Amino acid sequence: MIKKLGTYLKGYGRESVLGPLFKLLEALFELFVPLVVAKMIDQGIRGGEGEAYVWKMGGLLLLLGVVGLVFSITAQYFAARASVGFASRLRETLYDRVTRLSASQLDRIGSSRLTQRLTGDVDQVQNGLNLALRLMLRSPFVVFGSMIMAFTVDGKSAWIFAVMIPALSIVVFGVMAWSLKLFKRSQANMDRVMNLVRENLTGVRVIRAFGRDGSENARFTDASDKLNASQRTAGRVSALTNPLTSVIVNLALIVLIHTGALRVDTGTLSQGQLVALVNYMSQILVELIKLANLIVSISKALACFDRVQTVIDLPEDATERAAGAALDRAADVAVRFDHVELVYPGAGAPSLEDVSFVAHRGETIGIVGPTGSGKSSLVNLIPRFYDATRGSVELYGQDVKRLSPEDIRRSVGMVPQKTVLFSGSIADNVRWGKTDASDADVLNAIDGAQGTDILSKKNEGMNAPVGQGGRALSGGQRQRVAIARALVRNADILILDDSASALDFATDARLRAAIRARQGSQTVFIVSQRASGVRYADRILVMDEGRVSAQGTHEELMQSSALYREIYFSQFPEGDHVCESR
Amino acid sequence: MRKQVSTIKTLMKYLGARKYWILVSLVLALGSVGLSLYIPVLTGQAVDLALGRGTVDMAGIGGILLKIGVCAGALALVQWMMSAVNNRLSFDTSRDIRLAAFRKIAKLPLKTIDAQPLGDIVSRVMSDVEQLSDGVLMGFTQLFTGVITILGTLIFMLVKQPLIAAAVVVVTPLSLVVSSFIAKRTYSMFKKQSENRGTLTAIIDESVSGMKTVKAFSQEETMRGRFRAANENLRASALRAIFFSSITNPATRFVNSVVYALVAVIGSLFAIARPRVMSVGDLTCFLSYASQYTKPFNEISGVVAEFQNALACAARVFEFIAEEEMTPDPAEGASVEGLKGDVQIEDLSFSYEPDRKLIEHLNLSAPAGRRVAIVGPTGCGKTTLINLLMRFYEPDAGRITVDGVDAREYGREALRSAYGMVLQDTWLMSGTVRENIRFGAPDATDEQVVEAAQAAHAHSFIERLPDGYDTMLTEDGGGLSQGQKQLICIARVMLKTPRILILDEATSSIDTRTELRIQDAFQRLMEGRTSFVVAHRLSTIRSADVIVAMKDGRIMEVGSHEELLKKNGFYADLYMSQYR
Repeated sequence: MIKKLGTYLKGYGRESVLGPLFKLLEALFELFVPLVVAKMIDQGIRGGEGEAYVWKMGGLLLLLGVVGLVFSITAQYFAARASVGFASRLRETLYDRVTRLSASQLDRIGSSRLTQRLTGDVDQVQNGLNLALRLMLRSPFVVFGSMIMAFTVDGKSAWIFAVMIPALSIVVFGVMAWSLKLFKRSQANMDRVMNLVRENLTGVRVIRAFGRDGSENARFTDASDKLNASQRTAGRVSALTNPLTSVIVNLALIVLIHTGALRVDTGTLSQGQLVALVNYMSQILVELIKLANLIVSISKALACFDRVQTVIDLPEDATERAAGAALDRAADVAVRFDHVELVYPGAGAPSLEDVSFVAHRGETIGIVGPTGSGKSSLVNLIPRFYDATRGSVELYGQDVKRLSPEDIRRSVGMVPQKTVLFSGSIADNVRWGKTDASDADVLNAIDGAQGTDILSKKNEGMNAPVGQGGRALSGGQRQRVAIARALVRNADILILDDSASALDFATDARLRAAIRARQGSQTVFIVSQRASGVRYADRILVMDEGRVSAQGTHEELMQSSALYREIYFSQFPEGDHVCESR
Repeated sequence: MRKQVSTIKTLMKYLGARKYWILVSLVLALGSVGLSLYIPVLTGQAVDLALGRGTVDMAGIGGILLKIGVCAGALALVQWMMSAVNNRLSFDTSRDIRLAAFRKIAKLPLKTIDAQPLGDIVSRVMSDVEQLSDGVLMGFTQLFTGVITILGTLIFMLVKQPLIAAAVVVVTPLSLVVSSFIAKRTYSMFKKQSENRGTLTAIIDESVSGMKTVKAFSQEETMRGRFRAANENLRASALRAIFFSSITNPATRFVNSVVYALVAVIGSLFAIARPRVMSVGDLTCFLSYASQYTKPFNEISGVVAEFQNALACAARVFEFIAEEEMTPDPAEGASVEGLKGDVQIEDLSFSYEPDRKLIEHLNLSAPAGRRVAIVGPTGCGKTTLINLLMRFYEPDAGRITVDGVDAREYGREALRSAYGMVLQDTWLMSGTVRENIRFGAPDATDEQVVEAAQAAHAHSFIERLPDGYDTMLTEDGGGLSQGQKQLICIARVMLKTPRILILDEATSSIDTRTELRIQDAFQRLMEGRTSFVVAHRLSTIRSADVIVAMKDGRIMEVGSHEELLKKNGFYADLYMSQYR
């Protein structure tokens, strides 16, 4: 863990050495003060050197003060720079890692935990490091320094110091290791509290509609109490450092006085020497009190650092590995699924089983089927959000597992089922599809997504902000911006995963017409809950419990698939005259 | 400054609830300081008994060493108890404040919640409270012992050398002046740091929860760019705040060393000029006390400066806790007992922003037991209407009555207990499937849960989940398909059997075949109950008693499916479009 800490301090090497060093120098200069005062008294007053000497020594004291001030501020500056820089870099490394987590890793860890690690945990690490850089060198310096001084005074008594220091280290590191474990537990409880806060904000409407404020309150109180209890336990354990070390030092002091007194009695030690030894012991005692507070912060910081590091160290999923061949788009077969099986991690049953089909360049593939039949799972395999657990998925004749995920995703325009927009303007969001899209491109895509009327309702047109998560727009407006975002890419493959769910029929129909008109050599996948959405597709896959139960054109399936007929007639009841008239 | 005072006052209110523990902490601090000052006195006595060869009083020393041992044991115990009490004080206070902030969420109008980035609120409730808690802990551990040490030395000095004591007392607090000077300036820096932390948390929250979309568009670099910019802002403001606040300690120490030098010089000059008035011994004593006495001042001044961070963070939490709450419910709300569910909307006007009209002078009648379908292009105000029915937002003008009584005369919770709602945006809590279905009816039996799931056609897929009804759903129902989440939401409302049902695109992610089956279940459930249905699908709307076609916040047409088709107007056009 310490080695890993070092990697983030790279580039702050100077700061992390100079900070503690200046702090030490400051402490050293402080030691001169009593000497100067002694001279002032001995030679100025007793020695009769007179007023001028007193003034000179006074000036020296002032100078020492100034030097101490400069050193100390320098030390604080370097410590602050190193710790803040460290935290900022750690946070960035973690964030980078989070952006490279695979979809299944994201599912497993959850947003709250990741957010807590990126915020609260990194803050604690910064705090601990800042204190450590300022104070950590100091305590060992004082402790070992005192021991060395004790040896110069009387080697026979100094063994007490030599025995005491290992005992102190055992206590300090033991308590640290123990409290580290407890701090980790309390931070895990913090995750839960964070989770509830986020959930109560995202679900505020549902919670109010169901009148569950009271029970949510109880859940939160319970989680807070658990957090509180674990924090208190961690606090009680980490608070053991100082009492235990002070007991050890005081015991050593008793032994020291006892043996010292015996040696004074035999005349091998003077009273003055005993006083000096006792003073060195007292210095250690005072220093350890300061160290104890530091130890608490450091254990907490280490616990949090470990939590951060576990995320950074997660193995990279194959679906996110950057390396891979570039996609060659020459072949005629755009997408081929060959006996594909998909089992989500942690799920018992497969979500897709034995799925095989071919989509040629320029074709439109419709996907229908009951809820939970695997429609979304199927299209999520195309941009390689997940890897098939068996069988193969090929794009233009190349196995996706051999391709770079980024390259694949560049050739796919996707409208996910769940519409997610990001703070910024409508145009900003559309440009996610194509960073260098001109205003005309953006407007064209919005037009294709049937969203031109959204712009006319906003004073700022396409520069109107969408708010966090797209809050400033209605559900249907959000969905159309998401469609425009996919359309603007003019990608080889376009995937519409149930992307008309918030649109009215008129808009949905116009949207499908617009996509057909722009299609060209684009291969389009349309997942739909309704038969009308896929009716004109070149091929329709009818999904049922993770399998392709039938495939063909609308006309073929109306003949061959009972399930498809059922789906069709559930939207267009048999004998509906309107249906026949069109 | 006034802001800081009011923050401290609010903080005091939370601390006041634990005043007995504070008292215990003070007493323990007193004991701790007393014992740690007494042990050196004892060691001094012991050493005094070891004068030289052959004159050491071992028996006397033995007695004193025993005392030291007892005192050291007592000191360790007192110190540990003090830490435990201070930890308790700090963690309890932060829990109380966090609870108050959390409870506040339930009392805020949705208008306020919708207007703030979620991550910023999260940052206030989580990070800011955490920083505050650290500050409070530091305050208790260092402030109390510091103050007591100062008082202790002061009394000691007053007894021994009243005149010298008076002189030292006059000059040393200079360091406090210096530290408050720095503190005043660092407060705004800490405030900035805390705000930047909030902004960064908002970016983190938004991007982490939308990471799959980020990936779909390979926009990792865009988000990293946003993150980096905010992270750099936080770094810069944190560096400023931490560095400038950490100047306090060296600065006050410098002030004290200047004072010390002055005292030494003047004392020496005095001793040279008037040796009778001030002896060398007096001066040595004087100086040693002066340095003893100033040390705790240095510590306290450091605490004062770092406490600014806690105060700046506290200000943000308290600001949130002090946000304006919803208009209070009437003390004696109208009873919803035996509510029939007759809903009338009278001359209703509403808009989110004053300069952008949305709903104007809307009238709509939904007598008890009626099935009302609302259709229209997106953004026409359907969801807004539901926000108003549920009293998530309050109308600007006009009113909604339920059974002839203004909706505002019911308590919100009572009114909502009569409603059941399924929104297009499926929200599930982290918990088991069973807990989620039971969300609206906590007392329902397991059999009833299964019945509701069967009615919602969710039973068969729930059975196939790894742990069936006890499968834990992670945040936001991760692992389930959108349609499956909707089915659970429907089961949730079915178990509640509300008087009035609101379905806002409740089946949008469910295939038409499953939907048809659910429809039958809804029909049975809502027999004789009022319902509002927002949907695009023909199958969902055509069986409604009355269809309301809306556009741009206005009602275009009202009537049954057949009537409106015959009219061949707005609705007919909308309806026909699905065959194109």
